[in-house]
Amino acid sequence: MNTRQALTGIFATATVIIVGWQVGAVALGQGAASSTSSTATTTSNPASGLKSGTYTGSNEQTQFGDVQVEITVANGTITDVKTVVLTGNEGRSDQINSQAAPILRSEVLSSQSANVASVSGATYTSDAYLTSLQSALDKAKG
Amino acid sequence: MPGVAQRTVDYARNYRRRALRSTLLVAAVWTTGGVAAILFLTSAGTAPFGTVGAAVSSLGIIAGLVGTDFILVMIVLAARVPLIDRTIGHDRAIAVHRSLGKPALYLLLGHGALLLIGYGLEQGFLPFAELGPMLATPNMPLAFIALGLMIVVVVTSLVAVRRHFSYEGWHVIHLLSYVAVAFAIPHQLSLGGVLANGTLPRVYWITLYVLAFGSIATYRVIEPVVSTFRHRIRVDQVETIAEGVVSIHLSGRALTSLGAVGGQFFVWRFWTGSTWWHSHPVSLSSVPTDGTARITLRDLGDGSRRILSIPSGTFVSIEGPYGLFTPAARTAPKIAIIAAGIGITPARALLEESRLSPGEATVLLRTSMDDRYLWDEVATIAKAKGAKFYTMTGPRATSGARWMPQRDAERGVSLRSVFPDLLDSDLYVCGPPAWLELIEAEAVAAGLPAHRLHSERFDW
Repeated sequence: MNTRQALTGIFATATVIIVGWQVGAVALGQGAASSTSSTATTTSNPASGLKSGTYTGSNEQTQFGDVQVEITVANGTITDVKTVVLTGNEGRSDQINSQAAPILRSEVLSSQSANVASVSGATYTSDAYLTSLQSALDKAKG
Repeated sequence: MPGVAQRTVDYARNYRRRALRSTLLVAAVWTTGGVAAILFLTSAGTAPFGTVGAAVSSLGIIAGLVGTDFILVMIVLAARVPLIDRTIGHDRAIAVHRSLGKPALYLLLGHGALLLIGYGLEQGFLPFAELGPMLATPNMPLAFIALGLMIVVVVTSLVAVRRHFSYEGWHVIHLLSYVAVAFAIPHQLSLGGVLANGTLPRVYWITLYVLAFGSIATYRVIEPVVSTFRHRIRVDQVETIAEGVVSIHLSGRALTSLGAVGGQFFVWRFWTGSTWWHSHPVSLSSVPTDGTARITLRDLGDGSRRILSIPSGTFVSIEGPYGLFTPAARTAPKIAIIAAGIGITPARALLEESRLSPGEATVLLRTSMDDRYLWDEVATIAKAKGAKFYTMTGPRATSGARWMPQRDAERGVSLRSVFPDLLDSDLYVCGPPAWLELIEAEAVAAGLPAHRLHSERFDW
């Protein structure tokens, strides 16, 4: 068999596998996020030390805008995270923030802590978000 | 004759297919550029052009996306992808590659400059004051290094600058473009929201990189290594056929499966202590058999001089076959071949490869000196295949048609008089660039469509 044809076949196969894997990761990533958040809401955790109520975190400033979150706690579980302040300096930051916030929210709801990885591409926003969240958690433990 | 008519249809159909493939390739290139811009527009925030600063930043991001897309297209064009070589030929692929270099660099420089200005306007800073925070951002120092390397690569490839480098020196610098492209990746993926994690734009972008680097790895690295070790080509005998001209007879295994066609070239490397670091793009001078091949080359520079005396048994590594100076490029019922000097090598192999009916081909050989190597072989093949065979000997004319000898020019000889069926022919020309361009100009002036002109420049 011609070497060139064989290698073209291998290259094409490898490309399809890599692209398919990436597309799959995108599809699964969205699926996984929704499934873990639903699990989280059903898991009641009175041992967490969080008192029921609504708590607003600190206002954090970054070079790309301001971030402030508000958490809702019921039966010791974080049931919701709202971003009460999320400003971008310009279109680009708006864009980053609006993509990062839902990802961070679902991560926080599933891990029930501020101990989650920052969203790549939105490191500054993530850090500010999680710092504000931690201060809200501290208040909830009050 | 029905046979001729049948063949005519085939050439026209082959050409239409190739032209369609070529159109699709061009369309694909433009599409990737457009998609790059659209990636930003679909993922941009509420008002990407709302303020002057935001508009400048947005343009900067688009410039970066499109510029990077151009660079990736350039990599694919330089990768010697078989589909591209079969469609437009290696020469034209490299010509397009070259023409994209400066636009790509300008877009990337614009990317950096516009973002500095845009951020500066947003925050009320001077653009240079924006440089500090930008360099402090993760992955940005690498991106600046990448831009610096890209400037070096493009500048060393400008014709005026490139002259000052040996091919090998230039090539080593050119390889830095891979480093530049790699260094630019982290900032694309980690900064900005366009290619955010877990989104389809990011998958698309990664796919472009997989295709670009995958084609380079497959066709420029793996294929040559595999072919070299599979076919194990060695120098059988070096035959001096004229002053400074040798035919190198090669032997190897299963050469037919290379799919090499007369008129194509390989990039050869002869593994002796003093010659291994020079590669030689040289055409086959006859159609290879399963166990043997032959190339003919002239000493045209310091690199090829040592080739004239390489010992038998020398190991030879290969890249190829490449090129469209072959029957596959034919579009017309007849074929006209003109070759000068060492340019005879692919012309001879092309003629040998061609399946011809009597009178279908006309061959013209040209020399200004007395270097008529391989002429007897061409004459023999031409006779056997019923091709018309002409020669022109003597110094170039100083007036009139300067690609032919003075006395022919004075007699009023022209392309149309040598090749009465010129406009029904594919014209294959191979020889020194200056000479070749004169013929191309005359052919085009005579009304030969550009797609029927097939030239191979022999300036090595």
